[in-house]
Amino acid sequence: MSASRDRILAAAQANKPDELPLPEVPLFGGDATAERFASVLAGIGGTVVWLEGLGSLVPTLQQLFPEARNTASPLFRGTVPVDAQTSTGILAEIDLAVLPGEIGVAENGAVWLPEANMLHRALPTITQHLALVLDHRRIVATMHQAYAQLPGTGGYGKFVAGPSKTADIEQSLVIGAHGARSLVVLLY
Amino acid sequence: MKVALFVPCYIDQFYPQVGIATLQLLEKLGVTAHFPAQQTCCGQPLANSGCERDALPIYQHFVQTFQDYDYVVAPSGSCVYHVRKHFDKLDQTAAVQHVRGAAYDLIDFISTVLKVDTLPGAFPHKVGLHLSCHGQRGLHQANESEMTPVRDGQLRRLLASLDGIELTHLNRNDECCGFGGTFCVSEAGISARMGQDRVADHVLNGTQVLTGSDMSCLMHLEGIVRRAKMPIRVMHAAEILNGVVA
Amino acid sequence: MNHAIRADKFLLDADRTTWHDETLWFVREKRDKAVYGVPEFQELRELASQIKNHTLSRLDLYLQEFEAAAQANGVHVHWAADAAEHNAIILDIIRQQGATRVVKSKSMLTEECHLNPYLIQHGIEVVDTDLGERIIQFRDEAPSHIVLPAIHLKKEDVGDTFHTHLGTTKGESDPQRLTEAARQHLRAKFLAGQVAISGVNFAIAETGGVVVCTNEGNADLGVNLAQVHIAAMGIEKIIPRLTDLGVFTRLLARSATGQPVTTYTSHFTKPAPGKEMHIVIVDNGRTQQLGRPDFRASLKCIRCGACMNTCPVYRRSGGHSYDFTVPGPIGAILSPNIDMKKHASLPFASTLCGSCTDVCPVKIDIHTQLYKWRQVLGEANEIPASKKWGMKFMGRVLASTRVYGLGGQFARRALRLLPHGLTHATSFNAWAVARELPAPPKQSFREWYAKQPQPAPQPQPKLPA
Ligand code: SF4
Repeated sequence: MSASRDRILAAAQANKPDELPLPEVPLFGGDATAERFASVLAGIGGTVVWLEGLGSLVPTLQQLFPEARNTASPLFRGTVPVDAQTSTGILAEIDLAVLPGEIGVAENGAVWLPEANMLHRALPTITQHLALVLDHRRIVATMHQAYAQLPGTGGYGKFVAGPSKTADIEQSLVIGAHGARSLVVLLY
Repeated sequence: MKVALFVPCYIDQFYPQVGIATLQLLEKLGVTAHFPAQQTCCGQPLANSGCERDALPIYQHFVQTFQDYDYVVAPSGSCVYHVRKHFDKLDQTAAVQHVRGAAYDLIDFISTVLKVDTLPGAFPHKVGLHLSCHGQRGLHQANESEMTPVRDGQLRRLLASLDGIELTHLNRNDECCGFGGTFCVSEAGISARMGQDRVADHVLNGTQVLTGSDMSCLMHLEGIVRRAKMPIRVMHAAEILNGVVA
Repeated sequence: MNHAIRADKFLLDADRTTWHDETLWFVREKRDKAVYGVPEFQELRELASQIKNHTLSRLDLYLQEFEAAAQANGVHVHWAADAAEHNAIILDIIRQQGATRVVKSKSMLTEECHLNPYLIQHGIEVVDTDLGERIIQFRDEAPSHIVLPAIHLKKEDVGDTFHTHLGTTKGESDPQRLTEAARQHLRAKFLAGQVAISGVNFAIAETGGVVVCTNEGNADLGVNLAQVHIAAMGIEKIIPRLTDLGVFTRLLARSATGQPVTTYTSHFTKPAPGKEMHIVIVDNGRTQQLGRPDFRASLKCIRCGACMNTCPVYRRSGGHSYDFTVPGPIGAILSPNIDMKKHASLPFASTLCGSCTDVCPVKIDIHTQLYKWRQVLGEANEIPASKKWGMKFMGRVLASTRVYGLGGQFARRALRLLPHGLTHATSFNAWAVARELPAPPKQSFREWYAKQPQPAPQPQPKLPA
């Protein structure tokens, strides 16, 4: 095994070109408004709903997801307590996960969701529906600003942009492939 | 300004009227071009087939033929592109460098060197413009849909300046026609299908006269038009422009 | 069998060819729209190209930096010189778990290494969880596109396949309902998966983490439910810094499908507590390609598929006509590095129109490399002998004015004299399959020119002695 390691590294060293410079990447500013974020997210199948402060979170969710029975969230007492040890069987029954997002990206509707906010790594994809709660002041223009603001990526983390989707059958778009069937971003 | 005319082999043999129109159009624009009779080919058919080495004597012959001219003008962007891009295989003597820089596609020469982008004259037909890849993507004679939605280019401007002309709005503005040199016989099936699709776009959108500045693509498209007996006339842009300018 | 023969088979079904062409052109148009919407897009392409060039120029160093960072994160790093070693390493990890059920998200590398048949042969159940991959796995076919693996199939084909394998109603061909059936079927597989294999879109030297981009969420679901995650990556997936992802994530999905970004851009850096993460770093011919100055830029590829969607040949010949894991223009410059004889026709399956080069988000000079591969193949005698000797003959003719004049005249006369049926017999002339030959004129341009009053003094060209 380490023989291959040494061989690969030696070949890479022998065959690589003379060193070329690493460019500095400008930040490329742009429109960082919640309006842009909302319209881009709508274009990829997600929805933005404005909260009148975090206090209105639970009633808003009840309006949006009247049929959600099994809910999980670090922001309020859901019906299912979830942590990193929760079993697959329980996770598979979750209807709605409500998780705090950290950064929103106006150009593509993505929201950064770090592991610390997920309760369980599988929760954001195994849940039938996903709601991300985001401070609208944390919306940036592009991915450059988003990465520049990330303190790090932790053990696991992801940008989520809209609901799970596929177009693998004849390029027809179908929402709800394997992950969450819907995504709503609750801005406050 | 000493200008030579390069007439690619297939134009010499099959489309002499395009060579004649090129010569006459240049004359009307105040340029007397000479046709050095010892010219042959730019070597592209060999090189594109993987026989660049066998093409080197042709490259040399090309340079010797044209080295004493300020410009070498050809009604075929593809050959020009080959000279500019692939003559890098020769020793870069002063003569080689000069000829590579001096080679111009006819329309590029009119636009860039003569700085002409409008012409007086009328051509009251619906004209479909075929953009040839080597002129467009290789020599940057027209915008590319890969980069911008704006359809602009040297020949488009020249044509648009004619009275009564209407330019066809194609569904695919700059898809390759499938000629591709020896590709047209080594991948005959795909080549034909590409050409048929290109012509269909013109038919669908009402082209009466199909034109372009590279006769090789037009030869292929004309072959398809004639086989399918379509009511489309194929003309090199030099023929249109020479016909309208008094 | 060469590309042209396989392409002709595809072309036989003219309506399906039309459909395939138009569907992929639609993806190209979505890409265009997304690209036009980003004013700095061309600048981003240039940055991406430079970052990749830089990385290749320090590849050995970045690989070591990545390895050290990954190990510090508690990740097991393995090195595989070739496909066989890659497969053996993965089987070994699975066996150490005593596992038999594997879920796999999309990875062109594992396709390249033929991992699935290898694992199945060794008693492991491997389930491809990307919808398109699952469809072709049921059908025992290879992907025909790197981003849209089942793009060669119509919904009716998928309906038949699902009827056979998932028991959907016969004749059901609604994409929504078929996708739902796959969702239910694959959920069960995800929940039961013991080991999850994923590909890698980007590996960050600075953090030791890997990034996987999907729309379906299948990588996230598989990895986060299984006990063990195995990420397989080619050595060229490295990028130096986390912030470089700003550039690549802005380019990838826009180029691939016209989306502003993939639904999930997932960063896997450390295993979850109590679980395991392995990264297998694979060479399999890549360092050799790195050593070919004319072709090393192909290692910049981020597998977006844009060059396929734009390629007028690919759209009309289908991915299987390339008979290589990665089809299309990029496949045609990667494949001869692997097996020059077998894939000798691929660099010729192009008009060299250059559209691939112009859509490529990392600015690989694809069509120039196609041209250069042709020269390598020519020198290595890997082009058909008839073509080669014909070209040698032409070379001599065209280098000599006198012989050339005779040849052209001869061809033109022959055209004029031979009856249409003979010059247009398809076996005689591939041109005539669908095209008329030009009508031969009475005189050539040079004959006409010789009769004109000659213009003022010409420069005296110097001719070789
Ligand atoms: S070569 Fe370029 S366009 Fe083609 S798949 Fe790779 S990155 Fe995309």
